[in-house]
Amino acid sequence: MKFFRILSCFIIFTFAVVLPTHAKDMVVKEPPKSLSQFYPPESKEPKWIQQMHKLSTHFGGVFINLKEKDFANVDKHADQLLEEYKKTSKMVPEWKDYFDIKAAEAFTQAAKTHDIAKAGKASGGLGKTCGKCHAEQEVSVWAQFHWPRFHKIKVTDPITEKEMGFDDYMSTISSSFKGVTVNFGEGQYGRSAKALKIFKSRFMEMKSTCSKCHTTDDVKLFYVGKIAESAFDNLAKELNAEKPNPGQFWKNVGLLGKTGCKHCHLTHRTASFIQETWEKE
Amino acid sequence: MKVLKLSTRLLNLFTALACFAVAGIATAYFFINEKFEWIPQTVLELAREPDLLKRPDAKRCSDCHQAIYDSWKASRHAISWTSKTFIEASENRTKEKCLACHIPESVTGEKPSPRLDRRDEGIYCVSCHFRDNKMNGPYDLVAPAHPTFRNPEFVRSEFCGSCHQKTFKEWKNTGIDDTCQDCHMPRIKSRLTQKFPFSLLHKKKWVGNHKFLHGDLTEKNILMEAEFRNNYFTLRLLNKTVPHAVPTADNGDPRLYLYITFFNAAGEQVDQAKEILAPQQETALAFNKAVNFRYRLFDPVDHANVILKYQPAWSKEKQTIWEKLIRP
Repeated sequence: MKFFRILSCFIIFTFAVVLPTHAKDMVVKEPPKSLSQFYPPESKEPKWIQQMHKLSTHFGGVFINLKEKDFANVDKHADQLLEEYKKTSKMVPEWKDYFDIKAAEAFTQAAKTHDIAKAGKASGGLGKTCGKCHAEQEVSVWAQFHWPRFHKIKVTDPITEKEMGFDDYMSTISSSFKGVTVNFGEGQYGRSAKALKIFKSRFMEMKSTCSKCHTTDDVKLFYVGKIAESAFDNLAKELNAEKPNPGQFWKNVGLLGKTGCKHCHLTHRTASFIQETWEKE
Repeated sequence: MKVLKLSTRLLNLFTALACFAVAGIATAYFFINEKFEWIPQTVLELAREPDLLKRPDAKRCSDCHQAIYDSWKASRHAISWTSKTFIEASENRTKEKCLACHIPESVTGEKPSPRLDRRDEGIYCVSCHFRDNKMNGPYDLVAPAHPTFRNPEFVRSEFCGSCHQKTFKEWKNTGIDDTCQDCHMPRIKSRLTQKFPFSLLHKKKWVGNHKFLHGDLTEKNILMEAEFRNNYFTLRLLNKTVPHAVPTADNGDPRLYLYITFFNAAGEQVDQAKEILAPQQETALAFNKAVNFRYRLFDPVDHANVILKYQPAWSKEKQTIWEKLIRP
């Protein structure tokens, strides 16, 4: 009996703790603090991602030139890759174990034989080191350094003129939206029209909010642009008509939902969820 | 007798010295202001203060240019890195796109690069005036402490357009000749330096105000016409005098708030409306282009009260520009 108890404890311990997580399980933890020195404001430019681009360019440069039989440039890229790889391995001390200098040297030597098969084979060892780090850290780095924090954005509600956090503003805008649709569903067209004015005002405020990050009009107006403007005009027209047409009404509501809400949520929410989790910890 | 002779001699000596001094000052004044190119470079090199060519802080510049320093210190440029609004809007200065213009290394007519040193000084003397190891400015003159270079860019709007790109485009589209500097850096005749003896040796020049005046809006700038007709209230706003959009900003969020309140004959409020005129919402008032607003009136209205308020990008406070009572 005692033996079975010990055995079951051992099995539970083995499966719950000792065995590594499955490949599809992803742990998104905050990247090390030392990485921040390679991103603004500590750095003028996002030097870490620039360094990644350098590695990627030289790695690609080796194979492009091998295919073109431009061996002088193969050697040049192979040397530069090794140099940049070594440099990168020293940039973030907490990540030094991701790097395998011997694998990088082996790849450089293989590339310099100008035999594409040898280079391809040697690239596997080097590629693994990149892949491991990317699998474990890339999402975190992007969430931390490349996506601004939504919940730090302050929005001034155009109706109350009070400043509020972004999340609260999203709830407010959502309630305003329901004011339009619920009243319409109940046949209360006057109330729906009144709610539409408020909703439009709050929705258009997003132009200012988006502009806090998006400085080019193309991007800024992607969510709150001409399609949204015309959907609002059509909704107002419908609600002011003697007999509003539900088909037209819902079509325009759908347009707003698709161009404004859905596009933005698809683009931004995942990163925002991750950041929110980190902030709560 | 001897005493009298001595006194006369002393008097003559003093007179001669005074004459020499006046002649010396006059000669120096003439050379410094009229023929400074005749002063040998080797002589000027002896008077150079080398630290001035090592991107000094603004306080160091104030050793000579106290008046300019004082007006800059009171400007928004001086707090472009330290202002609470900027810190909040840039997520504690992590937004890369904000850095270039809030801590420019060198303003040259194109979008600058951000710098790593002296960030607390924001947009300071060196950002604009130090280029190619010389102090650049609108005048050709001699300053013993550092080499100077007359750079015509300093009186052109393009220079300000390095960072204020959107506003610059708006201004360019108006076709108005007045430059950014004409309105935001009004010139007065004064001395470029307050340091003795250079304060006496340099002629007075037209010196731009380095506080970079923001300009107060009044009813002369934003005209309003309104009328009641057929159950509608229509209102028209016109930016008559400001040769760029009002308000204007590349990335900030200044706003005009237009409040309209409708009252019945008993003085009770029957309805209200509000418009936000802001560059980031593409609703700012373009120069000399009327904007119309139309409101349907559901109840009998006796009069409307219309208020226009302005809120700068860096403040939560609104200032009333005008308030008007409109009757049918």
